Amino acid sequence: MANSIVLPGQMVSDKPARLPYCYVENNKTYATVLSLLSDDGRLVPLCGPYEPLLDDYVVSYVSEVRFSGYNININCPANAYLSGREVAQKLTVGDVLYARISAVDEIKSVELNDARLLRGGTIIEIAAAKVPRVIGKKNSMIGMISAATGCEIYVGRNGFIWVSSKGNQKLAADTIRMVEAQAHITGLTDRIKAHLDAHKAAASPAAQN
Amino acid sequence: MEKPQLIIDGKRADGRALDELRPIKITAHVLNGADGSALVEWGNNKVLAGVYGPRECIPRHDASPYRAVVRCRYTMAPFCSLEEHGRSGPNRRSHELSKVIREAFENVVISEAYPRTQIDVYMEVLQSDGGTRCAAITAAAVALADAGIPMKDLVCAVAVGKIDGLVAVDFSKDEDNYGESDMPIAIAPRNGDVLLFQMDGNLTREELSAAMEMAYKASAKISELQAAALKAVYDGPKKEAHLVLGDKFNSQ
Repeated sequence: MANSIVLPGQMVSDKPARLPYCYVENNKTYATVLSLLSDDGRLVPLCGPYEPLLDDYVVSYVSEVRFSGYNININCPANAYLSGREVAQKLTVGDVLYARISAVDEIKSVELNDARLLRGGTIIEIAAAKVPRVIGKKNSMIGMISAATGCEIYVGRNGFIWVSSKGNQKLAADTIRMVEAQAHITGLTDRIKAHLDAHKAAASPAAQN
Repeated sequence: MEKPQLIIDGKRADGRALDELRPIKITAHVLNGADGSALVEWGNNKVLAGVYGPRECIPRHDASPYRAVVRCRYTMAPFCSLEEHGRSGPNRRSHELSKVIREAFENVVISEAYPRTQIDVYMEVLQSDGGTRCAAITAAAVALADAGIPMKDLVCAVAVGKIDGLVAVDFSKDEDNYGESDMPIAIAPRNGDVLLFQMDGNLTREELSAAMEMAYKASAKISELQAAALKAVYDGPKKEAHLVLGDKFNSQ
């Protein structure tokens, strides 16, 4: 990979370019966040808060019950709103949901729909920028973790990951955090596979006894 | 106390040349709980910076519909220096420094990206030996970048001034207390903008321009260190960012 790390204020192009995570001054383009500069000249942030986008699926929880709906925490500065019509049952504060972002406006007010209640699990929080690595190509990474641990896992684009209590939840959580910590280093899939296999080998003699 | 000799044989009391910085070590991403963090060890100074946000602005009436509110808090720990500082927490001096540091960062943080939110920057001086506000700004800039806050530049800061009639850079506590002039400056290295400029004592015009030149040279070195610290976080396998408890118990 020829990707290089760029820092805020670093020039990414000597021509004015309207790119995300960039600004233009004196006909030159500069980066605004710590990010990777890809070969095609685009920036991929390495850190930073979640930016809600339309049609993103997020893991979230109810933070406030209102008259006709719910305020939902989606790991982003602005609260999301879920109308009471979108869910069949009554929700309470702390209920975990897997939901789709149905609307975002310019001041980042978010509306949700297609919500699904998740019971009997816990939320792990990781950096939103690392979510694509946790999912992997065609769900390969998360599929591997889920199969090895026997956990049901829902990954939200916002950096919240729900892991069911059924299965080896701790191993799943540790592995996901390992993916987060090493997301930028190549050969990640092999290392994660080795990590899961090592735990499997360690656990199996104990299971026989 | 009697004034110590600050310049000995053309060198400073600690053996540095006039334009030489103290040894600086910057470590980014040192805290698990904060969105961004940095530890700056600058000579005998140790400053820890933590950034939270953008997050919901509280109280709500402080929020702006147009931009994020940047809040800075500079505090000195009660144990940070030889003299006792008494109770920790904000005092007149730390209020002033928090304000000027905030104004420096308001110039570079692209706050329009996050309306109705606040960005908190906490700087804790754990050990002090002169030049803590510069170390705090340097740490806060790295912490902000580590938090992924959009900024126009990575700010760095250094103090310049005059000791025993000679213009010099980066003062220790003695040089600050017994020198003739102390001038902390925060600089945006990309375009050379001066974001913070304070001065105690007096300088002539010629001394001022010599001091500014020295500050720009020193700031280039500091911003190199800042960049290296941020890149180091993503270069190798990062040390585990969380504490694993109960490993032994669970495997039984």
